[in-house]
Amino acid sequence: MDAGTTGAPDLSPHTVTQLASSDDPRELQRTLREQPVHRVGDLFSLVTRRDDVEEALRDRTGTFSWSAVGMNLGNIRPLIPLQIDPPQHVKYRRILDPLFAPKKMALLEDEVIALVKELVDAFAVSGSCDFHEEFAVPLPCRVFLRLMGLPLDDLDLFLSLKDDIIRPPGVTLDEQAPYRERAGKTVYEYFERHLAERKEHPTDDMLAQIIAGEVDGERLTDEEVMDICYLFIIAGLDTVTDSLDCIFAYLAQNPDHRRQLVADESIIPSAVEELLRWESPVPAVPRVATEDIEIGGCPIKAGEQVMLVLGSANTDDDAHAGADEVDLRRNPNPHLAFGGGVHRCLGSHLARVELRVAIREFHRRIPEYELAPGTVLEYTTGLRSLHHLPLAFPAGP
Amino acid sequence: MRIVLDAERCQGHGRCYSLAPDLFDSDDLGHCVLLVDEVPEGAEVDARSGVDNCPEQALSIVD
Repeated sequence: MDAGTTGAPDLSPHTVTQLASSDDPRELQRTLREQPVHRVGDLFSLVTRRDDVEEALRDRTGTFSWSAVGMNLGNIRPLIPLQIDPPQHVKYRRILDPLFAPKKMALLEDEVIALVKELVDAFAVSGSCDFHEEFAVPLPCRVFLRLMGLPLDDLDLFLSLKDDIIRPPGVTLDEQAPYRERAGKTVYEYFERHLAERKEHPTDDMLAQIIAGEVDGERLTDEEVMDICYLFIIAGLDTVTDSLDCIFAYLAQNPDHRRQLVADESIIPSAVEELLRWESPVPAVPRVATEDIEIGGCPIKAGEQVMLVLGSANTDDDAHAGADEVDLRRNPNPHLAFGGGVHRCLGSHLARVELRVAIREFHRRIPEYELAPGTVLEYTTGLRSLHHLPLAFPAGP
Repeated sequence: MRIVLDAERCQGHGRCYSLAPDLFDSDDLGHCVLLVDEVPEGAEVDARSGVDNCPEQALSIVD
């Protein structure tokens, strides 16, 4: 980490990928926090400390843009609401926030319980599972299809679209681009077809509510509805899979904490917050500076991209004492695992329902488990999940 | 003890009303609504919990 011309030390892109893929990224986060900003070649800068990350997320002065972030996700128009800046952004959140509010999401609990039980039933008797393949991947996708009123038979299609957009084959962006473009085209065609069907046969699911959504007497256009649905596939499916992988891998390797929440289910909500803080399945979020600014004394020029490292902000023990250890009852725990500011994760309350129910129901059925013998965990880059999570447990009734 | 809400800062994380539902509620957007002006006696710990868990620092306590 040599000091560059601007005073911010230089970091290799490889080191950045380890924020997601390291077995234990906390050590790297600590090292990164020694400097408030690191430059990663000409690509972007990392912002590492809680106070700076928090201020940038909150962005009271309109200094940062999401729409200017150059990121190929196979989409031909900005994803709504993520890639839209204020003030236009507000219009979309006014339609979408009520659909994802905690009271609405609480109504889904029974359905999520049924889906979780169905998935656990399929492997509980066998004494082993690949938690990633058999639980963490299908659960959020099934919940999404139910919520949106889409055919459950489309599960495999959605999973392959999501993977081709988020983790396409190939190493370089050029190699990956065709996969993303092809998947993107399929996503648009799929929703175009379903929107047309909805107009002929109205339903009462979330897709219908989005179509019917109005702000100031104006409905969304078909393109806007599609741009919202596109974002849901990218943002809603993978991130819950990532969170489940991270949390269950942690609990498999930390039996004391696992037994603590098995013994007292009332701590599951705070355990979810704490393990999201600890793991930060979305390790960092991008923004582009719209004017020349300084972060931690380091100049950032207009047009430059920054990555706000949620992971290192979440474990910053200068900002919050004891942030370098896990406490399932932690209170207060104002973590930033769902980001913050106007782009605070829209689906956070849905994610919470899924994670709480998954943890409660899984552990009622399978309280004791461990990593299958010989397992070497391999975390993914980008978003932090696992390629596989083989678990072994006593074969159950 | 009083709770003060800066509604401009609230982004609907929902931590306050999930932790202290007697003191905080949500509007249709999922944003915070204060249920009390003065914190009732005995609810001080809950009040602090709701305030201190806000990731946006939208809530504060005035003694």
